Amino acid sequence: MTENKKNIMDVEYGIDSRYKSNKERESDATALMEARLMRMKNLSKDQITKAKLLQLKLKMEEYIKIPVYDNHNYFSDFLKLYIDSIYSKRSTFAKDIDVAPVSLSQVINNHREPKEEFIMKLMIHSEKVYKNVCEFHKITWYQVYFHEKICDTMSNQEQWRPEIEKHIRISEAI
Amino acid sequence: MYLCRMKIIDISTGEKHSVEILPVEIDEFKTLRKDRYFFDWKIEKNQEVYKLQIKGSSDILGLVSIERISQEWRIHIRLLTVSKENKGNEKKYDKIAGNLIAYVAKIAIREYGELACVSLRPKSQIAQHYIDRYNMNITGITLSIEVPGIINLINFYDND
Repeated sequence: MTENKKNIMDVEYGIDSRYKSNKERESDATALMEARLMRMKNLSKDQITKAKLLQLKLKMEEYIKIPVYDNHNYFSDFLKLYIDSIYSKRSTFAKDIDVAPVSLSQVINNHREPKEEFIMKLMIHSEKVYKNVCEFHKITWYQVYFHEKICDTMSNQEQWRPEIEKHIRISEAI
Repeated sequence: MYLCRMKIIDISTGEKHSVEILPVEIDEFKTLRKDRYFFDWKIEKNQEVYKLQIKGSSDILGLVSIERISQEWRIHIRLLTVSKENKGNEKKYDKIAGNLIAYVAKIAIREYGELACVSLRPKSQIAQHYIDRYNMNITGITLSIEVPGIINLINFYDND
C-alpha cells in the first residue's frame, strides 16, 4: 500500500495542527478572519437566533454541573438572555406566556421570586422554541432555579444560621 | 445523567456506548504513551487537554488539545488523536474523533455564541476527509467550522 493511501485510510488517527511560528499563526488568523467575516455577512437572523439559544442552553448546563458561590443572579440573567434572543420587546414574551409585563419585569430585575406557574410556562415555552434548535431538557429551568437557591442558601449560612439554629433542638435521643 | 448525550459505536456489534469527555489530570500525562496515542502528549500538559472515555471506564480512547483564541472568537485544535486500536479499518469504536470535535464545538458556542469558530490544520492529503465528514470550510490550509455548520455538528453528535 502506498503511503498516501495509508494516510487516507487512517485519516482519523490524529491531527497535529500546532502552529510552528508566530508568523504562521498571524497569517492564518488574518486570512481566516477575512473569510469568516464574509461568511458571517450571509448569516440569517434565524441562524443567529439558533446559535444564541444553543449558547444559552450550554451555559445553563454548565452552570448546574457544579456549585457556584457568588452573588450573581443566574436564573434571571439566563431568563433575560432567553427572552432577548427571541423577542425584540420583553412585553411580547410576557403576552405570549400570559403574565403581566410588570410581573415579568420584577422577576427579571430580582424584585420578586418567580411563581411555580411562571417556571412551568417558561418550561413549555422553551420546549416549543428549542424544538427546532437542539435537544432541550424540560427540567433545565427548574434545575437552574433550584441550583441557585441551594448555592445561595449554603453560601449564606453565616447570615441565616445563627437565628434559625436557636429554634432547633433534638428532643429524642439518637 | 442527561448532560452528556454523546455516544460511540462498537463497530463489531453496533452497540452504542455513552461517553464522557473530561479534562486530563496532570498526573495522567505520563500514562499517555506515544505508542498508543501517536503524539508526545506530555508536552501538552500546560495546554487545555480533554480525554474521551466510555462512562464507567477509565480507559482513554481519544484525546484533544485546544487553544482558546478569544480575540478571534475561535478555538484552535492543536492535537487530536484516537487510541491505536481505534485507528483505520480494524478500529473497535467509531465516532471518537467526531465526538471530540463536537465537544470542542460546544465549548466554542458556549463561549462565543453566533461568532463561534473551531479551526484545525490537517495534512493536505486528509483535509478533504474533514471537509466531507464535518462540513468544514477551507481557507488556505486551515479548516474551520462556524455557524450554521457548527450547530449541525453539535446536534449530530450530542443527542439521545
